[in-house]
Amino acid sequence: MDYLYDGSFEGFLCCVYAHYYKEKADGIYPEEDYQRSMLYPFYLVATESEKAERVYEAIQNKISNASLRRVYRTFLSNDPQKETKLLHYLILGFRKGRMIDSLHSVSEVYNVQQIEKKVANEQHRLLGLVRFSTIEESKEGSNSESKAHQILYAPIEPDHNILELIADHFAKRLPMETFILHDLRREKAVFCQDGNWYLGDLNRNIRFTVTEDELGYRSLWKRYFDSIAILERTNPACQKRCMPVRYWKNLTEFH
Amino acid sequence: MPGMDVTLEKLKILADSAKYDVSCSSSGADRTKAKKMGTAAVSGICHSWSADGRCISLLKILFSNRCVYDCEYCVNRRSADVERASFEPEELAQLTIEFYKRNYIEGLFLSSAVENSPDYTAERILKALSLLREKYGFSGYIHAKIIPGVSPELVREIGLQADRLSVNIELPTKESLAILAPQKKAAGILNPMRQITNTLEEQKSLKGAGNRFSKLKQREDLLLNGLELPVSTREQEAKYGILPYKKGDLYNFAPAGQTTQMIIGATPESDRQIIKMSESLYKKFQMKRVYFSAYIPVVSSSKLPALLTPPPLLREHRLYQADWLLRFYGFSAEELLDEENPFFDLELDPKVTWALRHIEQFPIEINKASMEELLRIPGVGNISAMRIVRQRRLSAVKFDDLKKIGVVIKRAKFFITCCGRYYGEGEIAPEKIRGQMLSAERIKYGLLPPNKEEQLSLFGTERTHLLAAAKEEQRGLLV
Ligand code: SF4
Repeated sequence: MDYLYDGSFEGFLCCVYAHYYKEKADGIYPEEDYQRSMLYPFYLVATESEKAERVYEAIQNKISNASLRRVYRTFLSNDPQKETKLLHYLILGFRKGRMIDSLHSVSEVYNVQQIEKKVANEQHRLLGLVRFSTIEESKEGSNSESKAHQILYAPIEPDHNILELIADHFAKRLPMETFILHDLRREKAVFCQDGNWYLGDLNRNIRFTVTEDELGYRSLWKRYFDSIAILERTNPACQKRCMPVRYWKNLTEFH
Repeated sequence: MPGMDVTLEKLKILADSAKYDVSCSSSGADRTKAKKMGTAAVSGICHSWSADGRCISLLKILFSNRCVYDCEYCVNRRSADVERASFEPEELAQLTIEFYKRNYIEGLFLSSAVENSPDYTAERILKALSLLREKYGFSGYIHAKIIPGVSPELVREIGLQADRLSVNIELPTKESLAILAPQKKAAGILNPMRQITNTLEEQKSLKGAGNRFSKLKQREDLLLNGLELPVSTREQEAKYGILPYKKGDLYNFAPAGQTTQMIIGATPESDRQIIKMSESLYKKFQMKRVYFSAYIPVVSSSKLPALLTPPPLLREHRLYQADWLLRFYGFSAEELLDEENPFFDLELDPKVTWALRHIEQFPIEINKASMEELLRIPGVGNISAMRIVRQRRLSAVKFDDLKKIGVVIKRAKFFITCCGRYYGEGEIAPEKIRGQMLSAERIKYGLLPPNKEEQLSLFGTERTHLLAAAKEEQRGLLV
């Protein structure tokens, strides 16, 4: 039996619940991407917050906080098998308790650790690769106050769903600013003002007008970027290894 | 920002001049006093990678390239015919904050030529840093270079704004300094260094380099190339005109410590002289890091290597590896190179070179050796040494375990026994081992047997490719 869920973390936890209280799951998949087959039985698990909460607390109390963190971060990855791998991890975890945190060579743990590592790597990498632009706050009709407030806006397209993992860093870094951090791929955004942020939906086709200064600073940055490289040491392979080309699209210095 | 195109021109000139600097680490500082903007991140964040593959983390720039000095090796020396520019303090502060806000950079690395006089320049730098911290509320990372000969008051003020300070030692001996940078006096370099060390000590934040195995923690006050440098006392402070500190205003003086930099390959010093110098800098001043910078010939001069000479990147790499051995493996400079062998083997890393020159100390038995001995085996690192010690408390470490533990077998096997058995091929003779190691490398990278001229291309290391690329580049430029 495959369990399908709505793609939310809560939904996933409900599948774990069903695995224990209904029928054993062979695999867990988001409903959206699932290839239905006539031959293989599947069941759509409803998302109910009490059940999700029970599993959440069980992980925290019967396994460990570290595991809860690991499960959540792994869940944010784009690995197509992540839910099933997490299920196996949790099954082992409920048997072994907090000891699981140090069983690095057991395959259930190793598999999850590998995914978690990828998420963590991208999270760290993105802290540097986000590029904000200053945009005009579009207040319809009010021309008089047009210079009032600048907003910072940054589009990103990460492989993994790391948006909320990097939000805190920027909220601390820019405590006096208003900014929008926009995951174009997942059409979600972090909205932050005065150091507080929340997560919301934002269409990927939305366009903003940048401020007059913005273009000037972009060319200053590009000029800096180009002149800092030492000609005698040119090494594009190294550059690309550190900063994969798929991220270049949203980097000011390559436009 | 008004006059952005003027800034654009300056940026080009002043970034271009600053790029030969090697130190760009922005870690180790935590300045989280709530300010308007910024967290100096504890773990280094790279914001981009330039075309030469280096991480861009800081806006690395000169405040000015107008110089009254005439250092032989420098593109900006007074007698050179180059475009000149200087920032205004406000202009630089604003540029930094706008870059920081857009997440282009993690902070500022500010250096400068000597415009008018060391103090004049330092005052302008101080102005820019104060604006940045106070007017713009910036609490990101700042690394400021101290120009030799700056007065102690200014060193102190700049230190209170910056996270890290550095005074470049420039060259490994006083003689070379006198030939190539005649206006820079050894005392002008060493006095601010010492002042910084003393201030850090006073505010109890002098940390130094290396880990618990390093011998660099033992502070030393000996002669430094003929210049007497006692660890100072109050009276000496007074003698050198360094002001007594007020208690309380120091706790934020350069919290990320002090570093320095040395140019490699512009002068005839041996590797031995270089690492002895750097060891002594670590010990005397408890520096966080001593950086090396392979000299890239930018100037045609009879006192310097010819313009076509490729920068000694591989040598620089070997020196950094040796530096690593000083900081983390408990080696001393004297052990690594003696007077008969004052240079590293360019083809092998310094630890292997050392082991081959002291072959009588090998093989070492993995299950009996002390931590210190384990650390001296090529292919065994800090982590694997610790794992070996931990595991053998429970049961003997077997040869097959070593790989999982993280030991690099292809290097270590020549130098160890495991449960009494030797796993290398044949006898333990330096020349044989050297030959085997080199041919293993050659096979790995699919290279042809070496011929004398192309010795360097033996190694498929990145550095060597770099070197080849650099050669190409330079040829392309000059024909
Ligand atoms: S002081 Fe010497 S090294 Fe520094 S900019 Fe002037 S000439 Fe160049």
